[in-house]
Amino acid sequence: MAALQHSLTVRRLAKHYGPTRAVDDVTLTIGRGQFVTLLGPSGSGKTTILMAIAGFVQPTAGEILLDETPITPLPPEKRNFGMVFQGYALFPHMTVAENVTFPLRVRNVARAEAERRVAEALDLVQLGHLKDRRPSQLSGGQQQRVALARALVFQPALLLLDEPLSALDKKLRAELQVELKALHRRVGLTFIYVTHDQEEALSMSDSIAILRDGKLVQEGPPGTLYERPATRFVADFLGKSNFLAGRIVERRNDGFAYAVDGARFVQHGPPPAGDDVLIALRPEKIGIAAEGEPAPNTVEGTITAWSYFGTSFALIVETAAAGTLQVTVPAWRCPVEPAEGRRVRLAWTADASVPVVRD
Amino acid sequence: MDRSAQAGPVANVLAWSVLLFLLLPISIVFPLSVTDQRFLSLPYEAPSLQHYVTFFTSERWLTSTWQSLVIAVFSTVLAVTSGTLCAIGCWKLSTRLTDLVRVLMLLPIIVPSIVYALGIYRLWIRLDLLDTYLGIILVHGVTGIPYVVITVTATLANFDPRLEQAARSMGANLSQTLRWVIMPRVMPGIASGAIFAFIHSWDEAVLILFIASRALFTLPRRIWDGINENLDPVMAVAACVMILLSMLMLAGDLWLRRKRER
Repeated sequence: MAALQHSLTVRRLAKHYGPTRAVDDVTLTIGRGQFVTLLGPSGSGKTTILMAIAGFVQPTAGEILLDETPITPLPPEKRNFGMVFQGYALFPHMTVAENVTFPLRVRNVARAEAERRVAEALDLVQLGHLKDRRPSQLSGGQQQRVALARALVFQPALLLLDEPLSALDKKLRAELQVELKALHRRVGLTFIYVTHDQEEALSMSDSIAILRDGKLVQEGPPGTLYERPATRFVADFLGKSNFLAGRIVERRNDGFAYAVDGARFVQHGPPPAGDDVLIALRPEKIGIAAEGEPAPNTVEGTITAWSYFGTSFALIVETAAAGTLQVTVPAWRCPVEPAEGRRVRLAWTADASVPVVRD
Repeated sequence: MDRSAQAGPVANVLAWSVLLFLLLPISIVFPLSVTDQRFLSLPYEAPSLQHYVTFFTSERWLTSTWQSLVIAVFSTVLAVTSGTLCAIGCWKLSTRLTDLVRVLMLLPIIVPSIVYALGIYRLWIRLDLLDTYLGIILVHGVTGIPYVVITVTATLANFDPRLEQAARSMGANLSQTLRWVIMPRVMPGIASGAIFAFIHSWDEAVLILFIASRALFTLPRRIWDGINENLDPVMAVAACVMILLSMLMLAGDLWLRRKRER
């Protein structure tokens, strides 16, 4: 399997439409056999990058390399990349088996060999029993699997996926996320996945590249991006976050203290340059502390709204010092009964939050 | 049933009047064709098929039918080929220029055919194409193009461009994509366009009068001459034959559409 794996390098890629910079100087390396997600809101350029990799968009500047070979001038049909399209793009006039045979038909693969490989690909997505159906007779999830089988049957160098789960309902989406990840492990190909859904990105990827307005903002493993977001945008887009804007009042080797509206908080890690600092604090890293319980950072406030999610309570707490904070508390060990108007004491440790760059 | 979907009495009367107005001229032709008289009239005593016998045994009428068929078939091929290529080309490029090209392609049905005929007549004199099969096939073919462009463009409007991208991502070159993905999807549009182009040539009477002199006598021209010279009821038979073929073609079109929707 390892022989099938390829790396892909996007070097200083740009795509301009008139004055609009859909992709603006993006450099990205996707390692062999990795599952990499391009994540961003609509208009962030993620699909344009994928389409440039696929060959459907001719970049204004920059290069795309498969391993060490530049592929930028190659038309899509010469790139040998599998692609799963948004909405699947199955051929409605062909059966499932004919759809999956298509890439082998254009390659003039002998009939017996083609039949064997189609059966194999359909087994891979557990759809062998539906091979004579038409796409219109399949459910969304089944169509999605056909699209996957069709993109994998010709042993492509890479698999590109353009929001393949966006048309499905939430439960099915969660199931297919697990399946896709398992499939990635089984076939061992390099997957490049585009989505605007941060949960999808977090649950499946080896690495996530976050894009905004055509620029690459941050790239890294999901855990790193979630725990150490570099900018306010990343902290806000990947999961939820509270933001505390303060002034550094004390610097130490392993951390610093900052003041927000007179209240003093401490933060772990090297202090950023300059006196102003922006701290991102995840709702689930804030706890409810009992009266008098010692904690590095505490703030008092009033619950103004709350919702129950089964696994957790989401509270909106109005504080004098830190403004409005979102707090997520596990429901089965919530120390207080949530109620509007109830006073609570919030606490978090010095390494719960992280300084981010304003953007 | 939803009240708002029901038509009032005025609308009903109007709709039926329009329908009758469209159908009556056709329905009068059939009684005329089974007349027992020797001139164009309704049957006096009993309906008779004698004029049908005349039509199907007369060399003049059979030659005309044959000529009409040949011209219609070849001009349909011409219209379908160029119309389809034009529609697909415009769809693929899809710039402001191609929008203009599409409008230009509709000119033959926008310009009155008598004006068109005059222009063609002058040009054909110079090219020595008057009274030739090639001459009339070219004219019928070109004037049939709009029907094909319209129907194929309409089918392409519903074509998901991602299907083409999908085909190419799987390694299909342009000709494979065209043959295996685009054509099967636009086939119903092409078939509809072909049927209309065929009917257009089959009952075309203005251009042929300008272009033909001795060699070409299509059915519409034969009927026209018959009306001017004598009132032979065989004309009504010819008219029935023409209507029958056109109706068969339209039924075929309906059947194709039904099939596509399923």
